[in-house]
Amino acid sequence: MSAAAMAGDRPRVGREVAFIGALALTVFWLLPLVLLAMNASKTPEEFLLTSGLEPPTTFNLFDNVARAWAKGLSSGMVNSLIYGAVGSVGAVLLSALAAYGIVRLRIPRGLFWFLLIYSGTVFPFQMYLIPLFNLYLDTGMYDTRFGMIAFYIAICIPFCTFVLRGFFLTVPWQIQEAAALDGASSWRTFWSIMMPLAKAPLILLILIQFTWIWNDLLFGLVLTKSNDVRPIMVALAGMKGVYGATDGPSVIAATLVGSAPTLLLFLALQRYFVRGLTLGLGK
Amino acid sequence: MSGTASAALAGGAAATTPTARPFSQRMVPYLYVLPAVAFVGLFLLYPMVVTLWQSFTSFDGITDPVFNGLDNYVELFADPNFLLSLRNTLIWTVASVIFPVTLGLVFALAINGIRGSGFFKTSVYLPATISAAAVGILFTFVFDPGNGVINAFLEAVGLGALKQRWLFESPLNTFAMIGAYTWQQTGLNMMLFLVGLQGLPTEPLEAAKLDGCSPWRLTRQIVIPMLAPYIVIATLLAVVNGFKVFDLIWVMTQGGPSRSSETLAVTMYREAFILFRLGYSAAIAVIISIAAIAFSYFYMRSVVRQETQI
Repeated sequence: MSAAAMAGDRPRVGREVAFIGALALTVFWLLPLVLLAMNASKTPEEFLLTSGLEPPTTFNLFDNVARAWAKGLSSGMVNSLIYGAVGSVGAVLLSALAAYGIVRLRIPRGLFWFLLIYSGTVFPFQMYLIPLFNLYLDTGMYDTRFGMIAFYIAICIPFCTFVLRGFFLTVPWQIQEAAALDGASSWRTFWSIMMPLAKAPLILLILIQFTWIWNDLLFGLVLTKSNDVRPIMVALAGMKGVYGATDGPSVIAATLVGSAPTLLLFLALQRYFVRGLTLGLGK
Repeated sequence: MSGTASAALAGGAAATTPTARPFSQRMVPYLYVLPAVAFVGLFLLYPMVVTLWQSFTSFDGITDPVFNGLDNYVELFADPNFLLSLRNTLIWTVASVIFPVTLGLVFALAINGIRGSGFFKTSVYLPATISAAAVGILFTFVFDPGNGVINAFLEAVGLGALKQRWLFESPLNTFAMIGAYTWQQTGLNMMLFLVGLQGLPTEPLEAAKLDGCSPWRLTRQIVIPMLAPYIVIATLLAVVNGFKVFDLIWVMTQGGPSRSSETLAVTMYREAFILFRLGYSAAIAVIISIAAIAFSYFYMRSVVRQETQI
């Protein structure tokens, strides 16, 4: 409101200057991506011999992606798709159950249980790494998809519980009382009444957590080693280390392809993401 | 609000009934909470407690940890690698406030309300949607001394003398990485400030404009002071995140050359998973935690204050 009023009162010339300035700024901001995309379609030889500002003479983007695909891009993307999907949905479900138990079923000392779960998000990740690594080695969860999914579920639970607890506090109690009078069990009330009501926050949380899991490097680095289990960011970092010097274009192409899912997710669901931004600040 | 009130009322009523309800029914809420507690307890809380204990031990991952009191902590503050890492971490923390937050504010003020602001907003925010690891990989190529675009650009505009081996010299590499970090984080801060700008009350702005206040003075003396709570939140958030930065550095330099660009998070990782000095590394983790919790406390406090004001 105020924003539009402010701009509307700017003199005409000032408005044009502001527009051109913002345009120049945006072009400058996106320039690295444009130049990298350009370099991603050079052949490895051409990439090494030409400067980064020179456009490619041939179009080799798909060849470069294909080489990267075979060198770990495909397995990384498949793994992260599984981790992101199962991890985010699993965490949101378990968090919804917990939030429902705490808020709607009035577990005794509810605040204690909530804080116990929420405390999982207070400490920096470095506090978990060493014992987690040893635990995974001792139990055979190291370098398994099962282990990765289990951990991603755990790390996403505190934040999801925080949001869903907030949501369940706003649901009117009459709804639940009416369900109880009809003889609905706690499970039925949860599954057929509360979950449909919570659809919007549930979807938003799944998107936020999927993005987080997709973008994770640290835990993939510590808890996995083989191609078949490595998540996408670890695969990309590995490719950069091994092929960065000899096959730059395929590493750049792989990184752009590997970043595309979260980028497209954002573009498609921008409106919801911006609303979720203030929500996700603590993470 | 009314939900909490009636919840409290209902809770008061329920408090008398549990004894009357059968045991199996009283256990029902626990069944809902248990799975989440089990996951958090096993994968997060248990490791946290163990790390705290291990920080007081000498531990190589093979033989059992041996209690050595505060030895790790004493050793840390005499370790040149740790002190350098601490210095780099402070540079990162300060720089991540100065660059992304200031630029975010400038961008937000520049594009707020102008024609095509939606497009500008999306473009500047775009880098924030890709991971820090991906940004690190991409900017390694941007900073490449041979065919990277930065050196190529300097050459092209006749500043070839300024060409650098960006990621191979210390402390230049830290500043180069902060550049990449700024590219990624500015959009996030800009979004935050745009949210703040949308919520500003119109009356003081209108009044100032009627008094013939210039846009520059309006921004400096009225808009920015009114944004102060958002500036505080963005700053504290930048401190919390800048202090813990790991992915970008690990991908771009691995903390090198010869450990010169490590931050505390990178040093912790190297000591644990490359040098296998696990007790020593755990002590670094504890130090990171103490600082991070202190920052988070101030952050949460200002967020809560902000929310109660609205």
